[in-house]
Amino acid sequence: MRIAWFLAAALAALSTAVAAKPLKVVGPWEIAGVDPAQSGYVFSRLQVAETLVTADTSGRLVPALAAAWSVSDDGLVWRFTLRPDAVFHDGTPVTAEAATASLERARAGVGVLTQVPIAGIAGDGRDVVIRLDKPFAALPAYLVNFSAIILAPSSYDDAGKVSRIVGSGPYKVKSLTPPLKLELEASRGWWGGEPGIAEVSYLAVGQGETRALMAESGEADLVFSMLPVSVERLRRNGKLDVQIATIPRTRILKVNAGSPFFDDAKVRQAVSQAIDRAGIAKVILRNPDLAATQLFPPALAGWHVPDLAPLGRDLEAAKRLLAEAGWKPGSDGILERDGRRFSVTLVTYANWPELPPIATALQAQLREVGIEVKVSVGNSSEIPSRHRDGTLEMGLVSRLYSIVPDPIGTLLQDYGPGGSDWGAMGWSNEELPALVGRLVGMSDPGARAPLQRRAVEILQEELPSIPVTWSELAIVASKRITGVKVDPLEVNYGLAAVRWAE
Amino acid sequence: MSTGLDVLTASRPRAVTARGAGAALIAALAAFTILGPLVIEVDPAAQDLSASLAPVGGDYLLGADHYGRSLLARLAHGARLSFGMAFLTMLTAAVPGILLGLVAAWRGGLAERAFELLANIVLALPGLMLVLLLLAFAPGHFGPLYLGLALTLWVEFYRVTRATTTSLLKEPHVEAAKLLGFGPAYILRCHVLPVIAPLIATLAAFAMATAIIAISTLSAISVGLQPPTPELGSMIVELLPYYAEAPLHVLAPAVLIVLLVLGLQLVARGEGR
Amino acid sequence: MRRFLLARLAQAGLVALVVGTLSFALMRALPGDAAMRIAAGRYGPDAMTGQAADKVRLELGLDRPWPAQFLDWLETLARLDLGHSLVTGAPVIEELKVQLGASLWLAAAALLISLAIGPVAGVLAGLRPTGWADRLGLAASVSLRAVPPFVLGLVLILVFAIWLGWLPPAGFGTARDLVLPALTLALGLAAVSSRVTRDAVAAVARAPHFAFARHKGLPEAVVVRRHGLRNAAIPVVSYLGLQAIYLVEGVVVVESLFAYPGIGHALVHAIVERDIPMVQGTALAMGLIFVAVTACVDAASAWLDPRLRSAR
Repeated sequence: MRIAWFLAAALAALSTAVAAKPLKVVGPWEIAGVDPAQSGYVFSRLQVAETLVTADTSGRLVPALAAAWSVSDDGLVWRFTLRPDAVFHDGTPVTAEAATASLERARAGVGVLTQVPIAGIAGDGRDVVIRLDKPFAALPAYLVNFSAIILAPSSYDDAGKVSRIVGSGPYKVKSLTPPLKLELEASRGWWGGEPGIAEVSYLAVGQGETRALMAESGEADLVFSMLPVSVERLRRNGKLDVQIATIPRTRILKVNAGSPFFDDAKVRQAVSQAIDRAGIAKVILRNPDLAATQLFPPALAGWHVPDLAPLGRDLEAAKRLLAEAGWKPGSDGILERDGRRFSVTLVTYANWPELPPIATALQAQLREVGIEVKVSVGNSSEIPSRHRDGTLEMGLVSRLYSIVPDPIGTLLQDYGPGGSDWGAMGWSNEELPALVGRLVGMSDPGARAPLQRRAVEILQEELPSIPVTWSELAIVASKRITGVKVDPLEVNYGLAAVRWAE
Repeated sequence: MSTGLDVLTASRPRAVTARGAGAALIAALAAFTILGPLVIEVDPAAQDLSASLAPVGGDYLLGADHYGRSLLARLAHGARLSFGMAFLTMLTAAVPGILLGLVAAWRGGLAERAFELLANIVLALPGLMLVLLLLAFAPGHFGPLYLGLALTLWVEFYRVTRATTTSLLKEPHVEAAKLLGFGPAYILRCHVLPVIAPLIATLAAFAMATAIIAISTLSAISVGLQPPTPELGSMIVELLPYYAEAPLHVLAPAVLIVLLVLGLQLVARGEGR
Repeated sequence: MRRFLLARLAQAGLVALVVGTLSFALMRALPGDAAMRIAAGRYGPDAMTGQAADKVRLELGLDRPWPAQFLDWLETLARLDLGHSLVTGAPVIEELKVQLGASLWLAAAALLISLAIGPVAGVLAGLRPTGWADRLGLAASVSLRAVPPFVLGLVLILVFAIWLGWLPPAGFGTARDLVLPALTLALGLAAVSSRVTRDAVAAVARAPHFAFARHKGLPEAVVVRRHGLRNAAIPVVSYLGLQAIYLVEGVVVVESLFAYPGIGHALVHAIVERDIPMVQGTALAMGLIFVAVTACVDAASAWLDPRLRSAR
């Protein structure tokens, strides 16, 4: 009898708890430190901090803290006018001075702003004025990046380091337990209105299997980044909604075009033709449509060229090309040229759980055309560090093309002269940097199209890095909530618009 | 309720059968491990993506993993590697561990203090850190992996040997034997070994399991062996995401490890009496 | 007693110094560019790691000679300061509070659960070797031990979180969150401790004094309590002391499976990301915990076996 009473009381306590319960969000990202360049993306996605400009789900730039912006005729002076009703979580207004300080800090750090030819940033009334050394049409897109979030002066400690996040978004930080937990509450002063759910609790769960189980058990309301193998199972679950977005991320085989193995474009093409992209996409990613027929996925309008001859598998052609390049099979089936065996090391890393399995599949596929590949799964820094000292032969990397919403930012970095950490290596081409250089200053889509097409063609023929698969992001929402929207650019998850379902 | 003496007499034939079963199990595993890779001609690294997760039976006797690699071939090669490495690791840990433990218990004094300090320093350094640091020198190689594991495991043998032997040597009947002038060899053989042998055997069986599990742990944090090496522990890790679709495939390598430890345990039990 | 404490304190100091120095030396000796790894740890794999690394190198003064860096550490340590993490920028002591604290809770819970299972099952099995309890215990302990902890954890999640819906599959902060990871670890622990207990009890049960006690007609429970448990407990305590260390160190895969913030996870990250102050701080804290645990084990052994006391 007493037990029954106790149970009833416990149930009553539970049901009152339901009314005030937080939206439970689970994602794979740990919060390593509060510096915007380190984990600004978490605070941007969860709408704690905002940037001047943001992007909608189609990639179009839309106002955020800046209500409007304009550029001078010579393209050198940009003016971003702050919205009048924006306040930080500590109650102070979002001023041009605060914004200037945040941007100056981002420019001095390691974020994308370091790539923009900025001459100076200054506040002018309610305007943030950015002066450039040379025209840079993509500037607003660069301001979307999480490293450019605008923080209140109270976020900084005496030494000028960010010690806490005081932003201006619909949610403010209630408590942060790095690296796994972040609890948020409605800020009650957001210019966009009240969020639908007053409290949000974010838990970082690194293990993909656990994330799926969190969704299945009903313990989490919104789970980001599901493993491909779980998606089918979760789709069959009547209590869950699975949404999938193609994200501008491509897994590429970075090859050292300066090494004796890959200095010939024919060899790079042969490698490309030896890869069974469809098989990898079907078996490891569980979606055959993710086989990369070119560098950019169809979702990247302007950069995906639908009528380009697709990359595909052709073992005979691959062997022919290798033979033309002088590589002949040795006694054990491994190719040889001038006494050198075609034996290379493929470096990859496990920050993305699908990379080591893809590397394992590539290893077996390249073996079929006589290329011996040793797979080395290490730290992600192995790639840039071996790029620098020139010892990298092959690397399997996952490259994001929306670090700024326009892939031009990444192209500028990756395929410029000398290549870069995550892009070309030992590859030189006169035409591409010139094209990209012209594109940076242009904003008219019609005028850009032919240049974009030519850039993509060069990459497809020369294959300085060999596209393997595209990517998608799977999000699972409990049917307890409505209003979930997938943002393929992963800028902002729009939690403020989520409501409890009736 | 039977008395202790009844148990002793009654357990003799049963222990022998348990021991026999254990020996048979180990022999079967050894045969699979040694002959398997020779008899099974399939390359354990050969992939066929169209046969991904092929079921048990059918074209593949024990099914195929997610890359369509023959699980039978991978199990045979994996068992050879895992058991071999686990055995070496266990031996490298057990031999110095037991010897140092005996010396410390017998001699006491300076020797005991020195060994204790050494054991304490090794123990005080997080074992995971030792293995990870050693591995960082030669990522994906067997040497540091094996050395690191042995370095962390020997202390277990040392401590149990020392603790048990120390208290044994103070037993009245052992002290009496000492006083009667029996030499260390005799006391070791007649009074110490019979008692510590089953403890050590139990530890050894589990140490081998620990070594294999440690490798799987390391590959779960992606610092273990490099693909496509077939190794039982890393096979479990590789197949784990597919647990809902192919639970048997995930369990197959684990079953081999269970059988090995079970066999060793049964043999160890037999020796105990 | 005072001598015992003083000796332990001296040991703690020695361990701290040796562990700190060794971890520093090993970390320094590792191949590869530390700045690159720190940069990758801070800014993730999508960042321009090369440029970030150059900034990191300048900021942290990684180019300075190693004796200078080591002296720095000793100096800050003398002020009882463990320094700041190179990756997160937070004081190491703060990180340890969260992560080591969480690990200690988990370890304590796991040890308690395992104590409730292991020795009990071991005594039952040891008193009647080759009886059904012994056989069942052997089968269970072998299966539990030979399966990697993350597989065991996954099975427990499937049973308790998905099918029964009693417990959350992952997370931390409440007692409910602690149950599954602690149980996962405890089952693995109990698997071995039950066998160690069983063997020790079986050995004691065969010993003449035990048989004599039984024959002189003492009730079974008294025999077990007075003559069996105490003697059998010595190797078990010694073994559990060791296990406690392994537990605090954190079974890193269990932590990551249950999204539990533990020191194992932190240590792996710190080593991979070459976060030397974090590695040193962790090793130091672990070393001191180890000294404390050994002291407890020794005290417990001495209490169990009065003959050991005279030796100290």
